[in-house]
Amino acid sequence: MKRVKSTPRPGWQAYAESLGFKFHTIDGEPYWDESAYYQFSLRQIEQDLEDVTEELHAMALDLVPDILANEQKLDQLAIPAEYRDALAGSWQRGDPHLYGRMDLVYDGNGPAKLLELNYDTPTSLYETGFFQWVWLEDQLMRGELPAGADQFNSLQDKLEQAFANLVLPQPFHFTSVRESIEDKGTVDYLLDIATQSGVDGRYLALEDIGSLDGQYYDLQGEPITGLFKLYPWEFMLEEAFAEQVKTSETLWLEPLWKLLLSNKGILPLLWQKHPGHPNLLESHFDTGKALEKGWLRKPLFSREGANIELVTADGKRFSEPGPYQDAPFIRQKLQPLPTFDGNYTLIGSWVVGDSAAGIGIREDNSLITKDSSRFLPHIILD
Amino acid sequence: MKRSKKAALVLMAPAATLLLAGCGEQQQEVHVFHNAEECAAFYHPPAECQAEFERAEALHTQVAPRYQDQFECEADFGAGQCEVAPERHQSGSFFMPMMMGYMAGQMLNRGNLAGGQAQPQQQSAASNRSAVPTQPLYKSRDDRSTFRTATNQAVASQPGVARVRPSAVQPQRAQLVRRGGFGQQAAVRQQAARQQANRQRSYGS
Repeated sequence: MKRVKSTPRPGWQAYAESLGFKFHTIDGEPYWDESAYYQFSLRQIEQDLEDVTEELHAMALDLVPDILANEQKLDQLAIPAEYRDALAGSWQRGDPHLYGRMDLVYDGNGPAKLLELNYDTPTSLYETGFFQWVWLEDQLMRGELPAGADQFNSLQDKLEQAFANLVLPQPFHFTSVRESIEDKGTVDYLLDIATQSGVDGRYLALEDIGSLDGQYYDLQGEPITGLFKLYPWEFMLEEAFAEQVKTSETLWLEPLWKLLLSNKGILPLLWQKHPGHPNLLESHFDTGKALEKGWLRKPLFSREGANIELVTADGKRFSEPGPYQDAPFIRQKLQPLPTFDGNYTLIGSWVVGDSAAGIGIREDNSLITKDSSRFLPHIILD
Repeated sequence: MKRSKKAALVLMAPAATLLLAGCGEQQQEVHVFHNAEECAAFYHPPAECQAEFERAEALHTQVAPRYQDQFECEADFGAGQCEVAPERHQSGSFFMPMMMGYMAGQMLNRGNLAGGQAQPQQQSAASNRSAVPTQPLYKSRDDRSTFRTATNQAVASQPGVARVRPSAVQPQRAQLVRRGGFGQQAAVRQQAARQQANRQRSYGS
């Protein structure tokens, strides 16, 4: 694994916009960054990332029945008592799941370590599955990359197959918060792929969802029977229309049971079941005591690095403010992100259905990967 | 090969810029009254006043905004200003505001004693079909002087002649479905993040 400087495609910004990539630059700061790429060997990809991703995914799914059978674990994950039956129902019915992303610390040597599972509302999908793929094809064509370079990125193929194979109600709706162009971009991409797979997909702003007599309705007044939502379950369950989750005939993507896996509390539970596993970091539910050297603390529910606090092995303290002060916390042994040319590098590894489906790489200027991070493409070359 | 065989998009092409329809719409004159008696007092033929009132009243049960309960309705329209709507939901009846007035879209044939402008022209049967349907009007709790349509378009602050854009006052069947019950956490977190100068850009992760 190495970082290689590269010449950006001339005028790529206008091209990106023509392909619907409206958030390649955010508040004047680059987000998509092709001034460099990461290079992996096929062995690194297959043994250290692909196999590990599928193993960790299986371990996580395997925990779901354990948690559902144990009130104390549900308490530790702060699952609201009144939604536990609905959650268990979604698992027992076998409500399907579409996708997830796990964040891994990996520097090319030794086992990748699981930082967390983003299993409810993962983003950076378009830039991974589509724009990174286009970059590789373009740079191969322009001779900027060695012939034979490949990429660990079957995301779009696998999503297309998933939409073709899942039995989804028609029409199937897709929703996100109205004001987030980034979330709209992700949802548009999924809607695009679903359409190519023959799904009758329709977009609906989250704020426009209607409710009547225990059902959800679209703007035409038709019941919403299937809904992909890029909005966290833990938010939805605190809102005015939460109650109807129990009664509506809506098939959700992701399903309600994903609330267990997108929860950082899954990390201590994984560690309890598989102590010392080479791809896990020691984790515990937080007791509120001061952080020791070499540990970090994060909320059960948080996004974009918010409300994370850590103390490095030599005693330096870092923290990131944020709006998630209200959740319980876990602590996790600190595995610092590796640095390449002074950048802190994080690997997001995708799962579609139950298969590993590719990676996306983000760089930040600190140990905590935030929404200010940049996305860099990668290649496989032996 | 570890990558997709193809990566195509069919929908994400740039959307053509839609030009919104200009504001060239002609306003139309209408008459606004609390009731048929008031209409007649403005020197309009009582029979026409009554006929238009009844037309508005018939529409009232179809277009008045619906609420899940009396409390929610009175929060918008004031104590004692709501009534039971014809429809029921799982846990009771819907409520709707009482009709507080009406808007006559037809040109009422003024008596010769009427003040104000004379009739611009003789109304033929055809041109008498107004672009503004006669409809009920309502008054909100915190603004008792303004007449509003069922879709909350303010049309007049006193009885008599008013001018409206026809497209803004087309009656629509009342929505029973409530909206806006998802997305509140986004707003709350956005606010909290703003206070810490730390914007929330996405609700994904």
